[in-house]
Amino acid sequence: MEFLSLLDLTFFLLAGFGALVGIIFGAIPGMTATMAVAVCLPLTYALGLHHGLALLLGLYVGGISGGMVPAVLLNIPGTPSSITTTFDGYPMAQKGEGEKALRVCVVASVVGGLISAAVLFLFAPLLADFSIKFSYVEKFLIILLALSVIASLSSSMLIGIFSGVIGIWLSLIGDYSISDGGNGKTRLMFDFMEPYLFEGFSLLPVLIGIFGISTILLEAEKGVKSDTTNKRIKIGKGAGFSLSIFKGRLTNLVRSSFIGTFIGMLPGVGGSAASVLAYTQEKNLARDSSQMGKGAPQGLIASESANNALTGGALIPLLSLGIPGDSTTAVLIGAFTLQGIQVGPLFIPENPETWYIMMTALVFANIVMFFLMFYAIKHIAKVVMVPKHILYPIIVMMCVVGAYAINYGIMFDVWTLLIFGILGYLVQKIGLEVAPLIIGFILGSQAEVYFVKSLESFGTFSIFFTKSPIAVVLWGLIIASVMFSIVMGVKSRAREKMELTQITGSTQTASGKGHDSNSR
Amino acid sequence: MTVSKKTLTGLGSAVVMASMTFGAGIAMAQDGPLRGNIRVVIGSTSTGGDTYQNSTIVVDKLAEQLDLNMKVDAVGASSAFRTLDRDSRGNTLMIFHDQSYLGYLYGVEGYDNIFEKYTVGPTVAINPGNAYLVPKDSPYETLDDIIAAVGDGEEVRVAIQPGGVSEIGFSALKNAISIEHPGQEDNLVAVNTGSQSDKNQQLFDGQADVINGTVQANEQYTRLPEDDQKAMRFVWLTARQDTIEQAPEEGLGQTTREQLLEYVEPNVHVTMGDDETFTFDKEFFFLYNKDMDPAIVDQIDEALTEIYAEGEIQEVQKNSFFIPNFKPSEEATEYLQEKMSRYEEIIENIQ
Amino acid sequence: MESGLSSLLSVSIDFETSHLYFPRIIHWIMAGLFAVILVTKVAPFLVAVKRGERTLPIVGEPMDGWRFFGTLALIVAYFYLMTVVGDMFPYTGYGFLFVSMAFVLLMSLMYMHEWTKKSLTIVVVNAVVAPSLAWFVLAKLFTITLP
Repeated sequence: MEFLSLLDLTFFLLAGFGALVGIIFGAIPGMTATMAVAVCLPLTYALGLHHGLALLLGLYVGGISGGMVPAVLLNIPGTPSSITTTFDGYPMAQKGEGEKALRVCVVASVVGGLISAAVLFLFAPLLADFSIKFSYVEKFLIILLALSVIASLSSSMLIGIFSGVIGIWLSLIGDYSISDGGNGKTRLMFDFMEPYLFEGFSLLPVLIGIFGISTILLEAEKGVKSDTTNKRIKIGKGAGFSLSIFKGRLTNLVRSSFIGTFIGMLPGVGGSAASVLAYTQEKNLARDSSQMGKGAPQGLIASESANNALTGGALIPLLSLGIPGDSTTAVLIGAFTLQGIQVGPLFIPENPETWYIMMTALVFANIVMFFLMFYAIKHIAKVVMVPKHILYPIIVMMCVVGAYAINYGIMFDVWTLLIFGILGYLVQKIGLEVAPLIIGFILGSQAEVYFVKSLESFGTFSIFFTKSPIAVVLWGLIIASVMFSIVMGVKSRAREKMELTQITGSTQTASGKGHDSNSR
Repeated sequence: MTVSKKTLTGLGSAVVMASMTFGAGIAMAQDGPLRGNIRVVIGSTSTGGDTYQNSTIVVDKLAEQLDLNMKVDAVGASSAFRTLDRDSRGNTLMIFHDQSYLGYLYGVEGYDNIFEKYTVGPTVAINPGNAYLVPKDSPYETLDDIIAAVGDGEEVRVAIQPGGVSEIGFSALKNAISIEHPGQEDNLVAVNTGSQSDKNQQLFDGQADVINGTVQANEQYTRLPEDDQKAMRFVWLTARQDTIEQAPEEGLGQTTREQLLEYVEPNVHVTMGDDETFTFDKEFFFLYNKDMDPAIVDQIDEALTEIYAEGEIQEVQKNSFFIPNFKPSEEATEYLQEKMSRYEEIIENIQ
Repeated sequence: MESGLSSLLSVSIDFETSHLYFPRIIHWIMAGLFAVILVTKVAPFLVAVKRGERTLPIVGEPMDGWRFFGTLALIVAYFYLMTVVGDMFPYTGYGFLFVSMAFVLLMSLMYMHEWTKKSLTIVVVNAVVAPSLAWFVLAKLFTITLP
């Protein structure tokens, strides 16, 4: 245990400080964990490797966790991976249960984070060998499985799938990127757009535009009535938080954490797929998932435990293959190279001290995150009490900062906010569904690359069925997931018909204020 | 953002005042043609990659030398070119590598002839790591084996990222085969793929026989035992011999300079015809807006000359496995133009 | 039979046009779904509109036009002016700082329903403090490039 001598007070202070700053970054819509790590990367020069890693891992854990705050309170995912948190978090906040929702999220987060850290510590090299069994074919099937959530998420399956396909279509605008092995040619646009749209729309501005700006437009249309604030003031009222919420949810918690770790582990499959997939599985496997999307804690548990489990998962390929599992760990590689340390399959055996140091920092950062968030929630949740005429301009301003900064200063990303703000507004007005659309957008470009590359390599569609036993298992899951949502759809339609006669006007769907004119 | 209003108001005036004082401090006392805050955009979107790392090293030194605020932003190639196009004042500079003209040679959308559209600035460093690898249990011992096998009609698949630095070695190899074994070059097949992990994956899956990689990213894979599915072996480093000779003696990881030299010319010979051997060094250099004040070009040249004369930056670069390679603008332009025309020939030959 | 099936499934993608392969599939799916939706959802809806049972979205709904279009106009002006002003002070973030102050102030005023002295003060102070704080922390402390 030589590494213990390397742990000093500064180490823990830095990890804690990192978690704090990370939470703040994550909580600002548009600011992500990746950005927090990138911004603080130069500091690690001065700090040295071990102290630098403490800070960066703190930022990583904090940044991923912070995303839950605006997701629950404002219906804007603070980071792409907290998108599914909005599905249940915001409805709860509207019912005045924002504080409770956040506490559920925090507990789920810390569990997810710690489980993934344990998996990382115990099985990293083993899992790395498993992860390289996933080639383009299997990765495509994973994306397909995540996409299958669209069917069960939407209130009208036909409209939902159509919205999802529109999302995929939107994600294809731009070039077929060379960095993914494409031919770098642009499509789905006119020549004059090319200077702006060459790389397509970037994910984060799209997300905060479609959630943040369109929410503001919808409110503006209604005149930004101040009386609605009174309705929202009753935070903390209603059912309070207690650990008993987690009773009977242990399977969900553990399953989602493993899904998160697993998706984090696959290089190239984006982090947002993790929470989407965990959400899908909870929706499919839970005994009663009818309330999901309307403010059920189980949705929050799935989403948040999965997205925090990403942290440990994404570190697995980084530390045992030298390949980043997500965008944040890609930046972390910079910290190692700056210090002249190579990451690769021999990293752990050759740098056992750094390895233990990282594990300590990771676990500690999770714990700090938990205490910081759990006790700060009471104050954080008050943000909904800020009058709208103060809150909204600030949201727009912060969205601008986030959009501009996400790709290190590109003005078109700011205009993307407006474009998708208006699009989001129109989509909700004409009765399409936002959640499937955005999931389609998130997963669309990956689906393309994996699909086309699989066919390019193997030259036959049958490869999707015959590639490996893993592919067969994944098909099983996809079919089960689709079948399930069809059964659920039929059931809930029957039930809704009964309910709708009693309560009209308050059917808040997953898509926020879904206009829903078609399903009524 | 979530601080309560009262605290905000309290903090308010103090912060505003403080920020104004800070803000007023910027860029007032400079006498050179470069003024204000300078942003250096790079052609890569990764802040963990070699372009970012190398640019930070150079830009930090430059900022110190010129006493200016300078900042590296990883906006990616297409955005970087566009940002540079718009600003002729000198507040935007760009650092990129050979991809900038290779993209043009390969006809990739979004790339123009940099020698016509921009002013080419000084070169600053080389990343000598561009490499080709095979699985450790591959039947091909050397690059010559591969050339011979392809010449015999065997199909060899090479995983590359199309349209640039990763493809140029492949093109040269194809060219060499067409010279030595005319008509057989089509047996060398490109597997177009993306990031390093995608290329590795192709090798693990048996979908490629050779991959493009780097010394930095793949060195540890070459030290795995042969029975490991992930084990690889270098067959070719595209760098010039005297580039690798400048690398630190201990090399990288546990592969020494001595060992690395085994995989460069003249030990590995990729012909370009007429006894010429193909080599490729990935070089980093500045790009400026065409209409930028030439005095700024001189100013940066001078500053870099002083920095490189001091000798400290070379140590930093070598520590990160970069080979220092400073050439002032004019020399660099001529040199790179010559380099481009050599590669242009290769690419034309194999089409 | 076996070979017939495998030739049916086999596919070869030309790298030069591979960027159009997937979009083409998506277009077909989109067109198909759209046709189904037209028949099953939109047509009955339009019939209902004609009979006066339903109203068209957006055009047929009541709306606070002043605040809605005001918001749009403000945002457009905000984004546009940010670049213009920012261009005068390259890479200092002043474009963001100054234009945000004006934007936050105007938007707050537009959304405010009761104009009292107290609420006005809060709005003005907020418009000055919030952008300054954001600018100071991000542009100065973390040296993030802002317009």
